[in-house]
Amino acid sequence: MAQAPLVSERLCGDLQQPITALAWSADGEFLAIASAGGELLLLDFRAGCEELLRGEHNSSLDVVGFSDDGQFLMAAGQSGELLLWELGGTGVRPLAMDPMALGGGWIDAAAWQPDGLLLAVASGRQVRLWDGALRQWREDPLALPGSVQSLAWSRDGGQLAASCQGELTLWRPAEAPSGEPPLRNSIASAGLALSFSGPGHHLACGLLDRSLLVWPEHCLGQPWQFSGFPAKVRLLAWSDRSGRLAPLLASAAADSVILWTQINQGAKAWRPEPLLCHQRRVSGLAFAPGSTLLASASVDGTVALWNGRGHLLQVLEGQGAGFNNLGWRGDGRHLAAGDAQGRWWLWPVTTPAAERSNARAGGGFKANP
Amino acid sequence: MAFSSPVPAAERLPVTVLTGYLGAGKTTLLNRILTHEHGLKVAVIVNEFGEVGIDNQLVVDADEEIFEMNNGCICCTVRGDLIRIIGNLMKRRDRFDHLVIETTGLADPAPVIQTFFVDEDLRDELRLDAVVTLVDLLHVQEHWSSEEVQEQLAFADVLVLNKADLVDDAERELVEQRVRAINPMARLLTSHMANVPMDQILGVEAFELERALSLDPGFLAEEHDHEHDAAVSSVALVEERPMDLEKLGRWISDLVGSRGPDLFRMKGIFQLAGKDERYVLQSVHMMIDGDFDRPWHDGERRRTEFVIIGRDLEHDDLRAGFAACVA
Repeated sequence: MAQAPLVSERLCGDLQQPITALAWSADGEFLAIASAGGELLLLDFRAGCEELLRGEHNSSLDVVGFSDDGQFLMAAGQSGELLLWELGGTGVRPLAMDPMALGGGWIDAAAWQPDGLLLAVASGRQVRLWDGALRQWREDPLALPGSVQSLAWSRDGGQLAASCQGELTLWRPAEAPSGEPPLRNSIASAGLALSFSGPGHHLACGLLDRSLLVWPEHCLGQPWQFSGFPAKVRLLAWSDRSGRLAPLLASAAADSVILWTQINQGAKAWRPEPLLCHQRRVSGLAFAPGSTLLASASVDGTVALWNGRGHLLQVLEGQGAGFNNLGWRGDGRHLAAGDAQGRWWLWPVTTPAAERSNARAGGGFKANP
Repeated sequence: MAFSSPVPAAERLPVTVLTGYLGAGKTTLLNRILTHEHGLKVAVIVNEFGEVGIDNQLVVDADEEIFEMNNGCICCTVRGDLIRIIGNLMKRRDRFDHLVIETTGLADPAPVIQTFFVDEDLRDELRLDAVVTLVDLLHVQEHWSSEEVQEQLAFADVLVLNKADLVDDAERELVEQRVRAINPMARLLTSHMANVPMDQILGVEAFELERALSLDPGFLAEEHDHEHDAAVSSVALVEERPMDLEKLGRWISDLVGSRGPDLFRMKGIFQLAGKDERYVLQSVHMMIDGDFDRPWHDGERRRTEFVIIGRDLEHDDLRAGFAACVA
């Protein structure tokens, strides 16, 4: 069947060093891009301008993110410092706040709370919380028995999951310290990737020992355990479109992407569908917001677009360099990716009607090729 | 478990693992590596107790963290901190062309070594060049019973006998003998203030199969049976007659299956019946790699040399098992 391509044009630009992280603001007006050389670039689409918030350094930035309300931009990395900027909206120069040294070594996991202003930062064996409303650190960090490998907030912002070697901890920081103590689950290996689903509030955890754990609805009961992956399970993504049971889940281990569909409630509840395309390690994985359209990026230099049944719709290529990451704009119509040569890419994507649910807020913008 | 990568060795970044008991001179050697004009951009990962004292952007602190992959089996332990930090460092690989990892003085080197073979990212992007162990000639005798000291000796590809200026020849020879009884295949260097030629410790390629063995012929000739004064010892097996690959394979896999945690390193070059190529093999605990190498050269002495280094080795059983593999 002949199909119109989803993607027919693109934007790109360059940093000096390989791109390590990128993030969209919730309203889709800003895109922040960080590099292994410590550069941080902020693209302001409404004003049509870009600003290099931080030039090349000797230490890399490895995580970047906007607070849900768009008030703050966060970046952190090799130096172990948390960098924050206050944003005044489109067209307004961001204001850099004083860097905050956390003393826990390299920071590569940090995440803003959805629907809130808490920023969780993994520093060594602790999860620290910075409260954007009070502009200060919360007392009593969450202590884990090993270095924190991954962090994730539930979609409602109420629950925070953190994992290390041997433990996955679920915490409700809004209720701390008077609320329930953190719920500590033993896991057989190191939890490398964590992701909560929107619909159903499932939790998935990818492990170093080549296995995957998926907790049922509302994280109640025993998790399903899947093993036999070719390598550690490093990336997870949930579709935020409701399924008949759980939403679609995608996992990546080495060059292999698997699309998981829940088909019943029993022991053999999930049907795996291998998505074959990439030749080398998969480095980015995300469903388009409001859709079952899945994008996967690989260090083989391709980005693949898949529909909710696991059919390959289109392969996007850059300029030969491997891709390091990708991120969808909130409208589900624009996909950004960063490559190992320091080039960022932006593709407007036409999501097939079958993969969309209802239209989401946030208009598109016109890309200038 | 094999430990070769599908990525050619030349495309992978070499890694040197630096071990040695407390006070053996690791920091001094690190400083030499960082300041020496060897034309290499060297990145160094130090443990939290290390004090390199050099302001260098490529010195990174790590906090030793052992990950057990599988029910606590020693053969499946890796260094979680290294996976994370090296994964991050490799994103800007253009900035360095050799990586040196210092371990704590009390560390068992096995998890560091295994990390480079077990973790698929590191396996495909890095290659272990050599394990370099510093030995404090003045104090090593006091720590001889330490398990860590014996393991660090056992895993070494290069042994640097440091502080040679502080001992006399007789003392040095005694340490050499004891060290050789544990590890007959490592290259032996003697130094003062850790002053060793850089090309003897960087770019050694000791984990490349074709460099499988460099046994000191004199050492083999002694028909080596020192008194085993340590729990860790070695057996050097030599056979002039051709061997049978099938029998060897069965014997070695049984051996690794039953004694894997106690077998630190094995290295060998085998003369196989009916084959013109050398067969080379090496192992770290339960990870084994073996393959046909180049043809025997004309005039080269065709024989099998096989070294096993491990804990509580039954030397007679090993000799008998090996002898039974003659074709």
